[in-house]
Amino acid sequence: MALPQSLRTSVTPPELELVASQLLIEIVPLISMEKTAFISGAYGPLRPPNKAKIPLWMAVNLKMKKKCHIVAPEWLNVDYLQDKLTQETTGPSFSSLPFRFTEIAKVILDVASDDVENPDKLRSLLKDLREARQAKSREGLKTLDHSELSLSNLCSMEINEIRPYFVQSMSILTQLVRNPGPDPLRNP
Amino acid sequence: MDFDYFSIDAILAENQKIQCTFKHEIKNMGHLAGGSDRDIAMLSKVQIPIWLAYTVIYSDWAEFNIPAPFGSRVRNALKAEPTSVRLSNLVGAGGLWYGFGKTIMEILSDEQADEMSDALVKAFRGRLLEVIDQAQHFAALGHASGGGASSNTAQSFREGLDTTERELFALAQESAKRTKQWSERR
Repeated sequence: MALPQSLRTSVTPPELELVASQLLIEIVPLISMEKTAFISGAYGPLRPPNKAKIPLWMAVNLKMKKKCHIVAPEWLNVDYLQDKLTQETTGPSFSSLPFRFTEIAKVILDVASDDVENPDKLRSLLKDLREARQAKSREGLKTLDHSELSLSNLCSMEINEIRPYFVQSMSILTQLVRNPGPDPLRNP
Repeated sequence: MDFDYFSIDAILAENQKIQCTFKHEIKNMGHLAGGSDRDIAMLSKVQIPIWLAYTVIYSDWAEFNIPAPFGSRVRNALKAEPTSVRLSNLVGAGGLWYGFGKTIMEILSDEQADEMSDALVKAFRGRLLEVIDQAQHFAALGHASGGGASSNTAQSFREGLDTTERELFALAQESAKRTKQWSERR
């Protein structure tokens, strides 16, 4: 295959961002628009000052033209994330956050930092969260074996980051282990 | 690392030589030993590559000893501290220590092979964390300050990685770098 080694096992972060941009988010429109059909579905109508739910990519587009305010999702605030960070640093398991929170938080903070409260604090909290969780996935590496690994509540960006070398390591271990036990997935 | 028929890694791994002791005199095969003798004498010790050794050993013309890269000295060193052994020195540049071990494993008896597999797995797992840690460290450094501040042990560990681990290192580094680039964009 002509693809570079690193692209064969996982997608790139910008691609993940693209996927996350399909998720719906609430906005407060500043313009009115009739219900409009897109390939992914029909969105609207937009009637200021009523809230509307549209895909993130569309919200970003409108926001850049100053035609809406983005309403931050309920998990994107200082209290909630602080709470999660405490859980993260005190407990051994990953705290549960929305699957694509990294991507969504970054997009919102990039284009609409004036619509969230205290964006700088949020950024540093997200960074702390990322580091705390990274330390845990490193712990997971210690328990790696040839057949399975369970790290629940890992989010999409983290899975994507560790996928190439976790998969590779496991396939090496499969080669090195003699008579690997029965495949757990095949036994009902 | 896989052992497919077409796998380049497998071919390279089978290119390592092991020492065989011939049990019979073999006529007209002296060139295998690299010398000018016409025949291979009984009980002579000859270094032959593994891909050839398979047939020779299965046909019961020769027996072999576990090669030095997997000998008790190396095993004890690995048991004591997996990260202190320089695997690349054991199998030469571009060598596949794990691949070599895997091929040896296949010609050993069950009991010895289990022991070998155990040693390989322990070595791999013992070194994995350090490989990934260093890969992420280097991804975080970026291009500008490529490894000026790293300590001696870390550097000698890096030089001692075998090819399999090097690939893993590159994968982890690339992946961490990509994620970092994305999160720092704009």
